[in-house]
Amino acid sequence: MSFDQHQKDGLTIGGRTVSSRLFLGTGRFPSPAVMQQALEQCGADVITFAVRRVNLDWVQDDAILQHLEDRGLTYLPNTSGATNAAEAVRIANLARAAGLGSWIKVEISANPRTLLPDPIETLKATELLTLAGFTVLPYTSDDPVLCKRLEEVGAAAVMPGGSPIGTGLGILNPYNIGLIVEEANVPIIVDAGLGSAVDAAQAAELGADGILVNTPIAKAKDPVAMAKAMAMAFEAGRLSRAAGRIPRKRYASASSTPEGVSEAYWAGGDPGSGSVSQERSAAGRADTGLQAGRGADLPVKVKGG
Amino acid sequence: MGKMREFSLYVITGEQYHPGRSMLEVMEAALAGGADIVQLREKNMPASELLEKARALRELTRRYNVPFIVNDHPDIALAAEADGVHLGQEDMPIAEARERMGADRIIGISTHAIEEARAAERDGADYIGVGPVFPTGTKPGRQAVTTSYVRQVADEIRIPWVAIGGITPDNADQVLAAGASRLCAVSAIVGSSDPASVCRRLKEQIAAARGERVTIKLNGREELVRAGTLEELIQSYGLADKRIVAELDGVIVQRNRWESTQVRAGMTLELVHFVGGG
Repeated sequence: MSFDQHQKDGLTIGGRTVSSRLFLGTGRFPSPAVMQQALEQCGADVITFAVRRVNLDWVQDDAILQHLEDRGLTYLPNTSGATNAAEAVRIANLARAAGLGSWIKVEISANPRTLLPDPIETLKATELLTLAGFTVLPYTSDDPVLCKRLEEVGAAAVMPGGSPIGTGLGILNPYNIGLIVEEANVPIIVDAGLGSAVDAAQAAELGADGILVNTPIAKAKDPVAMAKAMAMAFEAGRLSRAAGRIPRKRYASASSTPEGVSEAYWAGGDPGSGSVSQERSAAGRADTGLQAGRGADLPVKVKGG
Repeated sequence: MGKMREFSLYVITGEQYHPGRSMLEVMEAALAGGADIVQLREKNMPASELLEKARALRELTRRYNVPFIVNDHPDIALAAEADGVHLGQEDMPIAEARERMGADRIIGISTHAIEEARAAERDGADYIGVGPVFPTGTKPGRQAVTTSYVRQVADEIRIPWVAIGGITPDNADQVLAAGASRLCAVSAIVGSSDPASVCRRLKEQIAAARGERVTIKLNGREELVRAGTLEELIQSYGLADKRIVAELDGVIVQRNRWESTQVRAGMTLELVHFVGGG
């Protein structure tokens, strides 16, 4: 697959195909203008936001949607603030009443310090909201069994966290993310905890279908550049995964053939005086020894640089 | 107002509108919904039976601490210890009723033209009925006086007056807009399967028209707001054109229902919108 074809390979969730695999959270940006520029740079067409009380004292309060309507985006409101399934259902209904579709990110935190999702309530809410006709994308722990259970009760996509929200610790358990991807029949979106482009690429290499990013972009020194970097990194990671990475090895394998190494004029003889030359000669012999000895039992595939 | 306490929703009996349900049951529902003055009206009934009903209704209205008026019959009003009597233009003159009822009882009279209203005020009526505003089955054949008479009375008459005749929650706002601040309904209330909720609705409409202020819980705090529609309330906060969602006592109110939803004292309103989030 060429890079261009690869990029056109859209992601379908709940019957809707989105072109960008980076979902952008809209919180904590320095200004709405920066958020919009970041949105343009990363090309996201799914954006998330939260439901909160209107500020009665300051109605100029900048509601996030004022800046985003008429862009043909897919809206993914979250249920943040909910601590149980019933509260999540209520917030989901409020969000749907705003008339911007019926996608919902279930987000139920029980612990204010870690904001880690409550697995039991998340499962309940996912089931209830699916029955109520929502397209449900639960934010969940990176537990392969739980992720499967969420899929079974109707999640349109499952969104395991890489690490706690806003920490930037990256993917703490890549093994689990890999297993979750292997088992899944719905898209897997790595949500929360990513820190920079490297984490985006890793998520993609592990097989994630997308990432949901907010803090690492919004709080980067240059959010607009980071938005682009993370979107590119995710696509790079996906292409890399498709390309097939090499197996990990314990020792080096040269990228050029050992034959035909040009020898120095003093090779095999006395190079003359001077300690520097003597050391060089010793190093040369050591290399030869490795290649002839321990190196021989390792598979050597020489493909060049 | 002296012996007349302030009232806003006057309910009159009409047993022909609720076959199968007792008068007391229906009137109790109306009282529960906020009727704050009640009249017994029975045109063709033997005096003994009428007195029996009057006593029962007296008992009921006393429990709700609401004034009780008997139509046409000062003697029955007195015998049943009613608070007053209501006269028609064809009944005995106010002076005669006053003589029989004494100074402390309420005397009201129906009026259909401004001259009658002026006369009633001059003759010492405690309140007048103004109507029928719309054609009504309760007074078939009588020409409706329309809201223009309501407007005349609002401009000129200083004793308490209540608009009556064919008034329902659907047309009440027209009558209130013409200047009425008290409404009377018969069939719309007693003919309803849920008299209490019709009363509540009418009371809310009256409170809104009077511009009363009520305390509600809005986004978690006590707010003193003008009674009116939800639309007006949201407008008063400058939020009508924003993409917000309203939840009233735990139930989402769709935007197209804001106009027909009344703000009531004690209700819990949540107004939410979208903010940045991940």
